[in-house]
Amino acid sequence: MSTLVKVARFHLVQPFQYLAMTWIIVALGLAFSVAVDAMHASGHPVGAVVNGSAPDRVRYTGALAGFFVFFLVIGVQSIGRSLPFGLALGVSRRSYYLGTALFAAVLACADGLVVAALQAVERATGGWGVRLGFFRMPYLLNGPWYQTWLTLFVGLTLLFVYGMWFGIVYRRWSVIGTVAFIAAQVAALVAAVALVTLVHGWTGVGHFFTGLTISGLTGLLAVLALALIVGGRATIRRATV
Amino acid sequence: MTTAISVADLTRRYPGHVALDRVTVTIAAGSITGLLGRNGAGKTTLLRILAGQEFPSSGSVSVLGAPPAENEHVLRRMVFVREDQAYPDFKVRHALRAASWFYPNWDAGLADSLMADFDLRPDKAIKTLSRGMRSALGIVIGLGARAEVTLFDEPYAGLDAVARQIFYDRLLADYAERPRTVLLSTHLIDEAAALFENVVVIDRGRVVLDASADGLRGVATTVSGPVLAVDEFTAGRPVWNRRCLGSQASVVAVGQLDEADRARARSLGLDLAPLTLQQLVVHAAGLPTAPGAAHVPPPAKEGVSA
Repeated sequence: MSTLVKVARFHLVQPFQYLAMTWIIVALGLAFSVAVDAMHASGHPVGAVVNGSAPDRVRYTGALAGFFVFFLVIGVQSIGRSLPFGLALGVSRRSYYLGTALFAAVLACADGLVVAALQAVERATGGWGVRLGFFRMPYLLNGPWYQTWLTLFVGLTLLFVYGMWFGIVYRRWSVIGTVAFIAAQVAALVAAVALVTLVHGWTGVGHFFTGLTISGLTGLLAVLALALIVGGRATIRRATV
Repeated sequence: MTTAISVADLTRRYPGHVALDRVTVTIAAGSITGLLGRNGAGKTTLLRILAGQEFPSSGSVSVLGAPPAENEHVLRRMVFVREDQAYPDFKVRHALRAASWFYPNWDAGLADSLMADFDLRPDKAIKTLSRGMRSALGIVIGLGARAEVTLFDEPYAGLDAVARQIFYDRLLADYAERPRTVLLSTHLIDEAAALFENVVVIDRGRVVLDASADGLRGVATTVSGPVLAVDEFTAGRPVWNRRCLGSQASVVAVGQLDEADRARARSLGLDLAPLTLQQLVVHAAGLPTAPGAAHVPPPAKEGVSA
């Protein structure tokens, strides 16, 4: 068994957090959304919890955003207290990073497949009987199953490795470093905005994004994920425990 | 004598202080070495660098013939159990299962029997363990790994005397069965003294004593008795400290005593007591101006069995 696979298994030795908790949260969210919708439909409005009011339209909850946040958080945790024990077990930083990224990809791949399957069920049951769009999101997750799966695979991997990078920055430079890390990203965004404004490029940018298909976006996210992996891998090189 | 660990001119600086200051030390393969010193002396930093968890500012480190940092060929043959080891949200059995995957010589039977000895329950969440039980878990991993180089940092913090005795017994039994290189840092010097073949004392980041335990026996002697007799006996000898209580004095005389010296002491009515390892370490590490090594005559190292 290669060291990378061992590291991936290391994260699953206690499977509750990564496997069970995800789906408990999703199941509770879905049950809540369906219940709210059912009450809404039966003439007992409970407030503007769901979007869209026309009865024939799918009501998107956007609850999967919580799923994305979850991947960011477990990415941070996969470094947190796990890295010191990983290194104590004689794993190199290189193997720990790559094995954990491998684990992220496998988990994103599996979870993406499950969401794609649940999305198919959602469509087949008319949105769980209440026209609910729990596993669908406008534009982002609204295509055929393989499109949903691919976008989730790339997007969730990206969020996980992004979380890992935060975890590594925190381990190396603590709170101040993390704040600086966030500030640097904000500064880069501001610089980009300023640059576009300076060259009067907003029309071009607008055209680029309106013309961007979901496949194109997924491709962009994949490139970004690879960049994050390169950055995280470089940052962990001198991490100490 | 093959060398398992060799450190040369190793310095580790942190903002505001120097944790290790040009440390040079060699540890023979197949020996148990005590790494002793006061809190903050640099013991843990040295062990962390040996285990590749920390990086030196300068100097060289070699474990099993190669620099350990990021070198899995070396790292998987080494185990390092830290007093303050952080664990993920694991139960005890999860930590042991993970350990069994990464250590090629992992001995599940040994781990199980140690768990029973320490009364460590596999289904307990690690974060709910008491300090002593966390130490026990570290010991189970450290011994169960059967790694060629075994590093223990204060392995028995919080463990009771019975559990500590279990640790000494099991370490020696397993060491006899499968000799390996053990480097163990501890504060409980006299208690663990019988384990050590070699002793390295660090103080304020410097090695102040590096000797075989045999060579240290009789290296210094406490001479006590009437002031005049003590003064007469110790005249011309290097001494460490002198205490007087009324007409009685007690002086630590440095250097081996021969038969003639002992006969003379008897005739003067003096008590001779060899300094224990702990007292030696207190002297070596406690001397206000380093290097204390200069005060300890270099004991012969040929007594070391490789």
